[in-house]
Amino acid sequence: MGERMGKIRLENVTFSYQQQGVAGPVVEDVSLTIREGEFVSFIGPSGCGKSTVLRLLSGLSRPSGGRILLNGREIAGTGHERGVVFQHYALFPWMTARDNVIFGLRQCPGGMTRKNVSAMADRYLDLVGLHDVGDKYPNQLSGGMQQRVTIARAFAMDTDILLMDEPFSAVDARNRMKLQELLLELWRKGEKKKTVVFVTHDVDEAILLSDRIVVLSACSKGIKEQIEVGLSRPRNWSLLANTATYTALRNRLIGLLFTDLVEETKLAI
Amino acid sequence: MDNTARNIDIPRKEPQEQELQKDRSRQACAHLLNHANILFGIALLLMAVPGKRPVADIHTWHLAGFLLFVEALYGASVLCRACSEMKRRSATDLTAIVLAGIILWELTTSKLDLFERLIFPVPGKVIAVFIEEIPMFMKCLASSLQLLGAGFSLALVTAIPLALLIGWRKRLFAVVNPMTKVLGPIPPIVYIPYSIAIFPTFKCSSIFIIFIGAFWPIFINTLNGTFNIEPKIIDSARVLNVRERTLLFRIILPAILPAIISGATLGLVFSFILLTAAEMIGSSSGLGWYVKYFSDFADYPRVVAGIIFIGMVVTAITFFFEMIEKKLLRWRS
Repeated sequence: MGERMGKIRLENVTFSYQQQGVAGPVVEDVSLTIREGEFVSFIGPSGCGKSTVLRLLSGLSRPSGGRILLNGREIAGTGHERGVVFQHYALFPWMTARDNVIFGLRQCPGGMTRKNVSAMADRYLDLVGLHDVGDKYPNQLSGGMQQRVTIARAFAMDTDILLMDEPFSAVDARNRMKLQELLLELWRKGEKKKTVVFVTHDVDEAILLSDRIVVLSACSKGIKEQIEVGLSRPRNWSLLANTATYTALRNRLIGLLFTDLVEETKLAI
Repeated sequence: MDNTARNIDIPRKEPQEQELQKDRSRQACAHLLNHANILFGIALLLMAVPGKRPVADIHTWHLAGFLLFVEALYGASVLCRACSEMKRRSATDLTAIVLAGIILWELTTSKLDLFERLIFPVPGKVIAVFIEEIPMFMKCLASSLQLLGAGFSLALVTAIPLALLIGWRKRLFAVVNPMTKVLGPIPPIVYIPYSIAIFPTFKCSSIFIIFIGAFWPIFINTLNGTFNIEPKIIDSARVLNVRERTLLFRIILPAILPAIISGATLGLVFSFILLTAAEMIGSSSGLGWYVKYFSDFADYPRVVAGIIFIGMVVTAITFFFEMIEKKLLRWRS
């Protein structure tokens, strides 16, 4: 495989819905550079446009102003170098778990043989601990299991960039922690680190996972602050729990989100 | 308070158990003395009562045989261990309804002789004719299924891909959707005389009529299913970079399969109605033709037997269709 490329640049990106009735932009004037192999989280209250940013990066929506560059070239739709994991289980209900992963792999360029694809699917299902439920349909799996299949598919497809939109928010607390550590491990183990853009509203999750946290504001519809996390890796919950840096970061982030809330309430009143 | 409650509770346990056993034996009794079995008894007794209409012995024996056959079927389904309580109960109800119908029929015709003898044959006679005509029925069935199969599958292979393509393109949908609202509701039966005039053979014209009847429900359901497909599914497919053909046939098609199948079921019912109607008008074979032909000769036992056979065929086709549906939609359970 050639040189991996995962550099993303957002230049004055603005997005507003075309339909009438929705006043004002959802995202306004966001400029940001994401380095190759960097793990960046977008965090903010609901309605701050964090999911919209991800949709723009995935190519499902086009910015109404500004542009997004991927390794210097403007994004024009979805692409093979980007994998996406949505908040709600994006599996196809008529395919078994394994077939879902296989279907994803089959869409990748570079024509793998049928046997390789199948072996690869099994390997990644194994990695997320689902080797024995490959033949089940999504409806027969719990929410957490479904999301693990989605992650297995995204990792099996081995894209340079991984875009994740609140992937664990619909999963119960215990499984969420497991999945977060799993994600870190898969990311760390890769031959070359993927660039990950991760959207969340969970402060702890953002700290555990990210190199950098971008705080979005619901009022200004733009970036409020960017915080380098700077905690050493590899990380996991038990190492992180009571360190001073973690607590300080956490307080700072909650403060940032909370002032936002106060402003919002004032505006509403 | 607690103590008194306990004191009362303990001695009560035994009577409760006795009660339970009584319940069980009562249930066993209810199994034997249910409405189906009672009606079976009444039907047998009724046969011993002399009637006002003269009935050939052979027909009486046919009726008796039929009653025994129904009861045996019912007994087998009750004794079947695999059947759930629900299924057993509906087997009982179904048997009761069939037997009640036979009793009413027998009572009004052979016993009380209330109606015109020619038009309302006795049940024994119809049963005898039915058995006699089975080879003929099979011939008619083969001829009818040929037309039905050709017309219906033609509708499936044209309506589904066409509706997928049109439903997927917003602009095409905007043009075609109002058109379906005008063309769809035209009762296909009105095309019968015209299509007989247009096509060289009766076979062609009836296949065409069946095709029209099945086409619209399948087409309209597929069209609306495609147009209103959940955006989430399309997004999930888009981010996997699927090609358009893959998107249409491997994502949208299975996603809206439930809607397509319900359209196809409706289409099948329509096609069967049209098939028999077309056969009545212009055919010299088939189930519809059979009923029409013998009613022209005032051979009403054959007409009634034919109608009953058509009912059985429709039931079998619907059952077969439901099995396919279950297989195709097993991921939904």
